[in-house]
Amino acid sequence: MSSIEAPPLPESHAKPEPSKRWSRMSDWLNPILVREVQQAVKGRVFPVTVMLALGISVIIALVVASEYVDGQTGRGAFDAGFATLIPLVLFIIPMQAYNSMRTELKGGIVEQLLLSRLSPSAVLSGKLQAAMVQFMLYVSVLSPLLATSYLLRGVDLPTIAISLLFALVICVTATAFAVSSAAQGVVPALQPIANLGIAFGLGFGTVAMVGMVASGGYSMTVGFLMRSGEFGMVVSGVVGVAILATTLSWLAARTFLLHAFENKSTPFRVFLFLLPPLLYGWMLLFVPSRFWRELFPIMSVILAVVGIIFGVFMVTEQRALSPRVFAHVPASGLRARFMTPLLPGRDRGMLCFAVYSALLVAICSLVGALSPVRTFGVFSDDGITGGLMALTYAFVYLGAGRFLRGRLPETVQGNHGGRFMLPLLLLLCCLVPVLVDVVIRGEPTRWHVGHIMNPFWTIDEFYNRGGSVISFCLITMLVMAAVQVPAMLRGTSEVRQASLAHQRRLRAKSEPAPEPEAEATE
Amino acid sequence: MSATLLEVRNLDRRYGKVHAVRDLSFTMERGQITGFVGPNGAGKTTTMRIAATLDVPDSGDVEVDGVSVLVEPRQARLRIGYMSDQFHPYPNLDILEYLDFFARAYGLRGKKRKDTVQSVARFCGLLEFKDRPATGLSKGMGQRLHLAKTLLHDPQLLILDEPASGLDPRARIEFRALLKELAAAGKGILISSHILPELGEMCDSVVVIERGERIVSGSIQDIQKAAELEQAIVARVNGDAEAFERFLLVQPHVSDVVADGSRVRFAFRGDDDAMGDLLARAIGQELRIVEFARAEANLEDIFLHTTKGRLQ
Repeated sequence: MSSIEAPPLPESHAKPEPSKRWSRMSDWLNPILVREVQQAVKGRVFPVTVMLALGISVIIALVVASEYVDGQTGRGAFDAGFATLIPLVLFIIPMQAYNSMRTELKGGIVEQLLLSRLSPSAVLSGKLQAAMVQFMLYVSVLSPLLATSYLLRGVDLPTIAISLLFALVICVTATAFAVSSAAQGVVPALQPIANLGIAFGLGFGTVAMVGMVASGGYSMTVGFLMRSGEFGMVVSGVVGVAILATTLSWLAARTFLLHAFENKSTPFRVFLFLLPPLLYGWMLLFVPSRFWRELFPIMSVILAVVGIIFGVFMVTEQRALSPRVFAHVPASGLRARFMTPLLPGRDRGMLCFAVYSALLVAICSLVGALSPVRTFGVFSDDGITGGLMALTYAFVYLGAGRFLRGRLPETVQGNHGGRFMLPLLLLLCCLVPVLVDVVIRGEPTRWHVGHIMNPFWTIDEFYNRGGSVISFCLITMLVMAAVQVPAMLRGTSEVRQASLAHQRRLRAKSEPAPEPEAEATE
Repeated sequence: MSATLLEVRNLDRRYGKVHAVRDLSFTMERGQITGFVGPNGAGKTTTMRIAATLDVPDSGDVEVDGVSVLVEPRQARLRIGYMSDQFHPYPNLDILEYLDFFARAYGLRGKKRKDTVQSVARFCGLLEFKDRPATGLSKGMGQRLHLAKTLLHDPQLLILDEPASGLDPRARIEFRALLKELAAAGKGILISSHILPELGEMCDSVVVIERGERIVSGSIQDIQKAAELEQAIVARVNGDAEAFERFLLVQPHVSDVVADGSRVRFAFRGDDDAMGDLLARAIGQELRIVEFARAEANLEDIFLHTTKGRLQ
């Protein structure tokens, strides 16, 4: 900048000072991480908790030294040391992240950050990195105690390593949850819920974990697990669930940090489509094959339920693309078509759910067809028909939700209204026929066609009785699902228009600007 | 490089039933300070937020240095420094650490980052207070820090939303001087404020909006002329001011004559020829006029004349 002159700088020394070296190294770190570390060092909480942890570990060491019993003291020292670490990683670090995020949201600071080169993802990543740095520092404070427990032959190294891995996973997941809760403070109505959720969630979690570790139950369980054949399955399962929970918290937090007109939906939809390969992949890689027959249907049901929950959010969005998202639809027709189910908007949300359902049905059908024994869950004909019925019901209710959402204003509040009305509709469709039965017949004795909108009872009835009524229901439901097709086509058409507009813009840019008309000269 | 730095084109924005901005268009050139004036709820902040990429229009667009804020928000952000009306610094950071953090956030690295932080802090008069905690600053110092943060990435366009509100007179004068220096360095400044005399002193042009619509825009003098507003003239006579007052009362295009000691202030509605004639007649009457000047252009008059105080 021309008017702002740089001050004369001192000549560089041959050996840079440590602070300069740190400054140079920190250039490559996330700015949020650097700032959080600076603030933590200057603040009160971090030094106080470090001193406390140090004091507690000294007390434990003294107790261990005074009551030494060969073979038992080491286990006790480990349990006490790990129980000291738990509140730090499960409560202190996440609460620090929670408060830091709330500060970020005060008075539009986060807007100032988003005007810089930091994206919401970078802000959240910085928070998690800061949590991991604090975790390392707390572990290093308690590491002499953990090392002592090993030297006293209380625990072996793999137990310590796996415990620290669990602690790290817990810390990161809890911090992501805390940051996500704090980010909800953007919507003032959600702030009390966030405060209560974080306080109770982390508080109860910490007390339960400390109780389990301090009672010795944790180290026994880990020891038993390591000797069993399911160690890989359990550890990968825990880590996998933690990663998924962290990712989901991250996406939720990102949603609150972004403006309403930005694209919030696509990452969620991509996440949804990544779930089947991740879950089935985990099963193939880590789960012993003797569990597959039981696990596959359970995972398929979980995936279907997750899809329906995501579907509720997808079909209650605003219909049209925001002007900014519209401007960023890929110019390539093929890419735009591929992206269509992933782009925001309730019509495309319905399309997304349809594609996801088709994917699940295809996977289940393929596995069913290839499976040598078709006797359980989705492997059976009943299971496949039941699954199809469940998905059809989901289609009908999501279609109804999309219709109801269309009656509400095209605002974010309208989205929330739609998300409230859809479960309410399901509840009413289940309860009202039962109440009518009670009033007319005295009690709801058996299923009849009036309960057709009650998916739980209808599907259960199918399993118990079967029959032509159910086939009729299925056909009816499929027809109702087909009613959603025009909406899906409309969603696709909007993306096509956006893509064409992008192409026109690119063409206009590449064309040379018309030369100004030559002035008349003599 | 085009002279136009900011182009607001047919901007339209609704919030439910409230039509915040209606088909608003105006342009602004480099090195200009443009006052953005309007009653409360006129759509100033909405327009500024759209220009700063923090909101999107329902239709229309804003281009900063030829870059659309709608299509290329990231590119546009590199050219924009937005100073909102709120400032909340982080706890446990001093002034330089605060600036250093934002410099990192803007992607500045190594020596360049350090130099920029130092020079921006110096420019805003913060260097001597560099070790002070950013949370314990006075309002004036806080605004300087806020401005310093806004300047870190060397934006071409500064969008300042009510930057002078809550500042004491000295802080306002100092702040105004900073803005004038920035404009002299070639930066465009779009500034909204309710302190109209101050805007009138520093702005090269103004855009007056009401209920989301542009009422008038241009330089203050041009607007005065276009609106046929009276010009205030101040004269000083050496001797009998009452004689000059009596003379003025019977002259064409003259009204609101007020004498105060040797000074006489009056409103004049004619053009430059008429004013020349008036002065010649006065000298012909042997009135000893030693000063005869147009009073400072008055933005308040323009504002009151052009807006109707309608709320939405």
